[in-house]
Amino acid sequence: MKPEDHAWRSLQEHASAQLRGGFADRVLRAAHGPQAETWRALQAHAAAQLRPGFAERVLRVAREFPGVPSLLDQFALCVGTAVACIAATLFVHSRNIDLENEKNLASWQQIAMEAHANDPRL
Amino acid sequence: MESTSPNALADLVRRAQRGDEAAQRELIVSYQHRVAGFVYAMTSRSDYVEDLSQQVFIKMIRALDRLQAPAQFESWLFRLARNTCIDQLRRQKLRRIFLPFGEEHENIPEPPGAVNSEELDALRHALAQLRPQDRALLALVQEGRSHAEIAETLNTSVAAVKARLHRAREHLREHYTPEHET
Repeated sequence: MKPEDHAWRSLQEHASAQLRGGFADRVLRAAHGPQAETWRALQAHAAAQLRPGFAERVLRVAREFPGVPSLLDQFALCVGTAVACIAATLFVHSRNIDLENEKNLASWQQIAMEAHANDPRL
Repeated sequence: MESTSPNALADLVRRAQRGDEAAQRELIVSYQHRVAGFVYAMTSRSDYVEDLSQQVFIKMIRALDRLQAPAQFESWLFRLARNTCIDQLRRQKLRRIFLPFGEEHENIPEPPGAVNSEELDALRHALAQLRPQDRALLALVQEGRSHAEIAETLNTSVAAVKARLHRAREHLREHYTPEHET
């Protein structure tokens, strides 16, 4: 045996000692991915999380609590709210304008009266 | 429900749509294990299974009258399940933005004995590394859905389903290491 053959063999032995037991199985499992029975185990584990009487609980909750409003209902509510907001804004705005006009008119009347009093020719 | 003929299923769905509680119960009992499996594959969390499965079936009962084709009940149900899980995962992600310790609290490992085999734990771990859309795809395939049905459930084309499925399987294999060597 050549000296380099011995070195190669040592290297190979050292390298293979790094592989843990069951290496081939792990490679095969990783290459093939999860098997059908693993998926079935996952489903069985999940199914075991459902407490007995699951269907009854679902039906009771569905009966007792009102459902989420439909998209149409939500849209109608949005439109109604927007219309109410616009109407309130217009009402407040027109009321403010009327008040402002009354105030201005009163001021002008006051000014006119004062001008009249100060200048008898008017 | 696998053993039930499509016609019997469609009849059962029609009865449930008319408000027949016995039919609604039968639908829940028939599909609860499959929906639970789907929810677990999507979330990788045992403690979410009951709550999310319940949400899926409550939505099912409330929206059943809007299902126009009873023959497509299964695709429709799994679409509800997928959307419910994705909503939950989004809410969870959003919560993490506002609650700095949310992630630590939410990623509590399963208690010992909760998962009963190394392979199952590895599968759960691998699924958790994938995007929710890819998890849904793989879980639907395990449900026995055809590519056409999956395309209908996900509102996409069969070609897109095939391409995404191929990528999802590759990603799953990359992360599937039964002894957590990584």
